Amino acid sequence: MMNPNINEKDKRRIRDIVQDFARKHSLWVLAYGTGCGAIEIPPTMTSRYDAERFGIRGSATPRQADVLLITGYLATKTLKRVIRTYEQMQAPKYVIGFGSCTINGGMYWDSYNTINALDRYLPVDVYINGCMPRPESVIQGFIKLQSLIAEGKADGADKYQENLEWYRENQKKIIHNWKMPDYNW
Amino acid sequence: MLDKDCNENKCAEQIKKTFQTAEVEVKREKRVTVQLRSDLIPPFLSFAKEFMEFKHLSHMSCVDWVEDNELELVFILWNYEQQVQIIAKTRIERVNAQFVSVKKFWNQAETYEREFHEMYGVNFVGNDRLGEFILEDWEGVPPMLRDFDSIKYSKETFYQRPGREDAQNVRATIAKHSGEEVPGFAKDYTIRNIED
Amino acid sequence: MREKETTLYLGPQHPGITGNMMVKLKVAGDTIVKAETHVGYLHRAFEKLMENRTWTQCFPIVCRICVPEPDPNEENLARAIEEIEGREVPERAKYIRVMVLELARLASYQLWMGGQSGSMGLYTMPQWTVGDRDYILDLFEELTGGRIYHMYIWAGGVRRDLPDGLKGRVLNVLKYLENRLPDYDKLMFQNAMFRKRAEGVGIIPKEKAIEWGVVGSPLRGCGIKHDVRIDEPYEVYDKLEFEVPTHEGNDIWSRAMVRRQEIEQSISIIRQVLDKMPEGEYYNKIPNPLNWTIPAGDAFVKTESVRGEFGYYVVSDGSDKPRRVHVRGPAYVHGVTVLEEILKGANISDVSFIMNSLGTCPPEIER
Repeated sequence: MMNPNINEKDKRRIRDIVQDFARKHSLWVLAYGTGCGAIEIPPTMTSRYDAERFGIRGSATPRQADVLLITGYLATKTLKRVIRTYEQMQAPKYVIGFGSCTINGGMYWDSYNTINALDRYLPVDVYINGCMPRPESVIQGFIKLQSLIAEGKADGADKYQENLEWYRENQKKIIHNWKMPDYNW
Repeated sequence: MLDKDCNENKCAEQIKKTFQTAEVEVKREKRVTVQLRSDLIPPFLSFAKEFMEFKHLSHMSCVDWVEDNELELVFILWNYEQQVQIIAKTRIERVNAQFVSVKKFWNQAETYEREFHEMYGVNFVGNDRLGEFILEDWEGVPPMLRDFDSIKYSKETFYQRPGREDAQNVRATIAKHSGEEVPGFAKDYTIRNIED
Repeated sequence: MREKETTLYLGPQHPGITGNMMVKLKVAGDTIVKAETHVGYLHRAFEKLMENRTWTQCFPIVCRICVPEPDPNEENLARAIEEIEGREVPERAKYIRVMVLELARLASYQLWMGGQSGSMGLYTMPQWTVGDRDYILDLFEELTGGRIYHMYIWAGGVRRDLPDGLKGRVLNVLKYLENRLPDYDKLMFQNAMFRKRAEGVGIIPKEKAIEWGVVGSPLRGCGIKHDVRIDEPYEVYDKLEFEVPTHEGNDIWSRAMVRRQEIEQSISIIRQVLDKMPEGEYYNKIPNPLNWTIPAGDAFVKTESVRGEFGYYVVSDGSDKPRRVHVRGPAYVHGVTVLEEILKGANISDVSFIMNSLGTCPPEIER
């Protein structure tokens, strides 16, 4: 017998809580080493730090992945591929910016080939700072993402859809030769 | 001082005999520097490789001397038997820079040439793989030339997140954020260090 | 009948690729007809950045060029500056540098073992070796403060002295790693699967090896005995006793055998270094780094890194900033022309296997 006091809105909320609970314990990370931070991923994933106990593991293709881990600076050439990869991923999807260079350029702030602020081009849910972050802080970042998911606050992908024009404008400012397929939303 | 009959001096003698215009200098043990006219580089490389057993192309480099309006091409060769390193240098025009491809002597020179074509705008005649190598859709001045300003380009193209400008004096910034009082002698510590 | 040729893009996002690069393959059936390397996904323009940095500011930059093994970079830049400037380095600092370089070599071999066996589907090996590598990283953390990037070797010496009791802890780790070697042998080097996969694959013709610019363990895997540590001893390598292992066969198997023996040599080198290390200064004071100018001149120095000869060409014009720092990583040659050449006729499933055995490291190709 359903409780008549729960209205339509709250019903959805309960379904969401259950969904998010399941989602947060199964984060598949796309194996895309975009920068030098990729060197701390093997220790995070293997025997010593063993991120798999949090439900975090690698995935080979973007269509099966939940988390896009931007491990470090992005060269403009990579940015184009990363955007395309991100748009191929299926919702729910999250982005983690890893390392100081994704936040404000880090030590490559004056380079002509690396972007300085990742959240202008992709919706970042969690930033992990450091150059480079230790495996402990990587795991800490994932736990933060998990708690955001549980609270229903990791809505970067929705924001990306809503403000697609703003993101596209920023992206096209850097990528001159825009030859990319439009994906369905 | 180096022995008169050592490998380095023998190499230098041999180069001097064959290429009379070359300026040869033995810098220290195992190091020979050769300055050559640009049109003599291909015969020199071929001579060094075939007759002097400098089989290994260690490195190729390009240096921009913008004051002299010249580019310097550097070829570094290594002889595994005698264990001598030759640094051969030549200067070419900076505007519309052109050089002969040395791909026929060493296949890997092709990669270096592709890089210099992209980064310095040097056209290597005889290399058919010139074109996009590292950069993508790059417009304007080749980026490694000295007159390309990387900071200015980065500021114009990429969003600069605020917060870096006061990072000059870390101690003062932390004090400002936390409201801590810094004693006078510690305040301008960074500045004093510069004058030191 | 000739099979139809298809184009296959391997990368830039691909778990088997050693880093962020792309190999464009023309394949007929399973066999590669033509391979083309596309790099530039990790281009940070280090060489341009260094033109705007003072000499001391360059040290934190250079170690980021090669991620698996950053120490040869620092050592190379320090030695190039010392050569241009004629600066002396204290004996103790030289020994500490060799210790750091060899520990970095061990750590990098652990990573290579994981990558090489991971690329053929043997995923137990990375779990072991990457976990064991962390013991070395812990030593680095204690010595330098950083796990991956150390910024420890500076012009004129090293940044700080060895902490108390580090020698004993290094010896303990070496003992542990040595005891692990039989396990590695059982799982990887004596594994019949590995041998079957590796033998006769990725062949570099012996007579072409030097001309193609092959260096390091791939060269020694062709039976040619060359090593920068022997040919042009730097630091204190001329005072240490070690062998340069070679192996005939020119293929992945012989490269793996060479590396396996080099691990033992590295362990023995570190033990000798700890034994012979003299007391004394670890640092030769440089002038104030903020207005430190270096006389005009140029130098090319090289180090034997894990993947082979790692060279730095440094030009100074007499100012406080470098005119040009040009890096020659072994992968610059291995990963482009050599890889393109030996991939011809190989099987698609062997591509990442071959790339791992050559030690292709994209960040040092494009820098």
